[in-house]
Amino acid sequence: MSKLWLVALNEFKRNVFKKSFILALLSVPLMIGFTVGLGLIMSSLEENDAPVGYVDHAGFLENPLPAPVDRSEEPIGFIPYTTESEARQALEAEEIQAYYVLAPDFGETSQIELLYLKEPGRNATRQFYDFIQINLLREQPPEIAKRVTVRSEVTIRSPDGSLEFPAGGPTLGNFLPMLIGVAFVFLLMMSSGYLMAGVVEEKQNRVMEVLVSSISPAQLIAGKVLGIVAISLTQLATWTLVGILAVIVGGDVLGVEWFQNPSIDWGTIFNMIAIAVPAYVLASALMFALGATVAEAQEGQSLGAIFFMLHMIPLYMLVILIENPNGAVSVMLSLLPFTSILTVGFRSMFAVIPMWQIAFSVVIQTMCALGALWLAAFVFRLGMLRYGQRLRLTEIFRSRRTAITKASQS
Amino acid sequence: MNPIEVSHVAKSFATTQAVADVSFEVHRGEIFGLLGPNGAGKTTTIRLILDIFKPEKGTVSILDGPMTEAKKDRIGYMPEDRGLYQDIALDRCLIYLGTLKGLSKIEVLNRLEEYLERFDLADHRKKKVEELSKGMQQKAQIINTVLHHPELIIIDEPFTALDPINTQLVKDLMQELRNQGTTIIMSTHQMHQVEELCDRIVLIDEGRDVLYGNLEAIRRQYSGNAVLVRAAGELPSIAGTEIVRQHNGTFKLKLAEGTSPQEVLSGLIAQEVLLEKFEIAIPSVSEIFIRVVEEGDK
Repeated sequence: MSKLWLVALNEFKRNVFKKSFILALLSVPLMIGFTVGLGLIMSSLEENDAPVGYVDHAGFLENPLPAPVDRSEEPIGFIPYTTESEARQALEAEEIQAYYVLAPDFGETSQIELLYLKEPGRNATRQFYDFIQINLLREQPPEIAKRVTVRSEVTIRSPDGSLEFPAGGPTLGNFLPMLIGVAFVFLLMMSSGYLMAGVVEEKQNRVMEVLVSSISPAQLIAGKVLGIVAISLTQLATWTLVGILAVIVGGDVLGVEWFQNPSIDWGTIFNMIAIAVPAYVLASALMFALGATVAEAQEGQSLGAIFFMLHMIPLYMLVILIENPNGAVSVMLSLLPFTSILTVGFRSMFAVIPMWQIAFSVVIQTMCALGALWLAAFVFRLGMLRYGQRLRLTEIFRSRRTAITKASQS
Repeated sequence: MNPIEVSHVAKSFATTQAVADVSFEVHRGEIFGLLGPNGAGKTTTIRLILDIFKPEKGTVSILDGPMTEAKKDRIGYMPEDRGLYQDIALDRCLIYLGTLKGLSKIEVLNRLEEYLERFDLADHRKKKVEELSKGMQQKAQIINTVLHHPELIIIDEPFTALDPINTQLVKDLMQELRNQGTTIIMSTHQMHQVEELCDRIVLIDEGRDVLYGNLEAIRRQYSGNAVLVRAAGELPSIAGTEIVRQHNGTFKLKLAEGTSPQEVLSGLIAQEVLLEKFEIAIPSVSEIFIRVVEEGDK
């Protein structure tokens, strides 16, 4: 096995078999699962499938039509009571969750009184009003009655048809670019952080000195970056697998409509990957260079936090991106290094991003990545054996100037 | 051609001139001492030899020419203090570093077994490096340096943190390797080890080589200004001498400028001193070191 691969394999093994890595790997799906689960629990707490009673003083609901109920909901039973005292007894006996009283002049006033001990479920309230509505429209032709009770279905579609918000609300596919953007930034910061910490550690324990007496600096950098890429792919594969499992379980087993029809736009995903690859190399190279310049891991982490904040700029400007996804700020953030991937992820939810912007962004990220790789190699040679002291920016510039002068003289 | 030829190398960092002008050659199959006070430029010189740094002036020839990637497998290098991954098991660390020197994993495992036994580390192979004592880590570093049977070894302070038994173990190994034809450059501050092991030395001070050559020749060169005398009775005062030390009845007499050992001997005989021992004091490497460095400071 070539030395480059040995370095890559060692980098991979050293990080992947650490408890902290496994914890970090699982933390993202667990966090998402926890958030979704919490949302579902909160939502279910607002629902109540117990029957609802009613007292019809107006005689409006004699031989009533049943309420139209959405397929995803359990139909609520509506129990008629002759008197309010009967209904109250049933409520106190917890046979019903609430009861409605239709006033004798309901036909003129539309007045309904709701009585409960504990606030009824939102599904029960919604279904009862649908129940009233369908019975109000019983004299109308069935198709008109149905059209009124079934809520308006508006599909929002971009002129070229590539972006669509269906009537039932955004699909998983609508959110996917944003999720990919966030996951990518998280992945990038995690793995490039490993890279930097590894370089600082090797400097501190002087393994670096032993390594460069066995392998060229270029092979060492390439091997380490390869190892980090493998780590990221492991993370990505795990998250993707968990995502697919969530879609299968959520869609096929739990019957969640959102997962049954994810409507993924592969073109947008391809665009994001095209930007993500050079952005990844850019961040890795800069973190590698940072590791070579600093004296301690803690110092590197502090400086690394600046990179993290740069990647987070689109999040701070989210309102601007949503309100004006094709405005000057949005376009600028889509092109700039560090901010591009997350901005494109957010914008893709609300607008169709012109192809030239994607292409331009890829070119900019690629050029910056190449520059960062060159810088990393240069800084690494200068700073790799500095023990206990940081490499100053002025030294880098001075060394670069000396190198240029020597090159021009020779 | 010699395994190492360093010719007038210079290297500076920012405003610090780490190495100003250093030249020396290391012969095949010898133990060569690279000596100097702290900050003299020894480590920078080693890094220039290993091509970790490029010299601003001068040239370095290693194993018959400039450094190449292939040559790195023929060189063993041990930096001063540390040099191993701390958070992984000892055997895993040595296997990785051994394979980076061009050995297959099987070869590393076969050789590792022997060295771990020899250095009494076999029972600690699965421990994390950080869990080992300083002395154990030092021995592990030495194993890492010699595991791939290099023909050139550059070793910085090999005896740090070692007890007398392990020091002897390392000395035996170094002599064994020299007898097998391995060339060794040793940088150390332990001058008695230099006396015992080194064939030739170079002394670097303030980035320049100030003393270079065969160790015995250098010691003879610096001898002559003191004699060792043991007499049966009281030692009378001898003109042109000063007693600087007495050890087990032997007096070390420092000779004043212009006084020769022959004159001292004549004086002692003239005073009918019954001599049991009279010899010209050969200075220790430590004494030469101090004298050369102090003269340089003046």
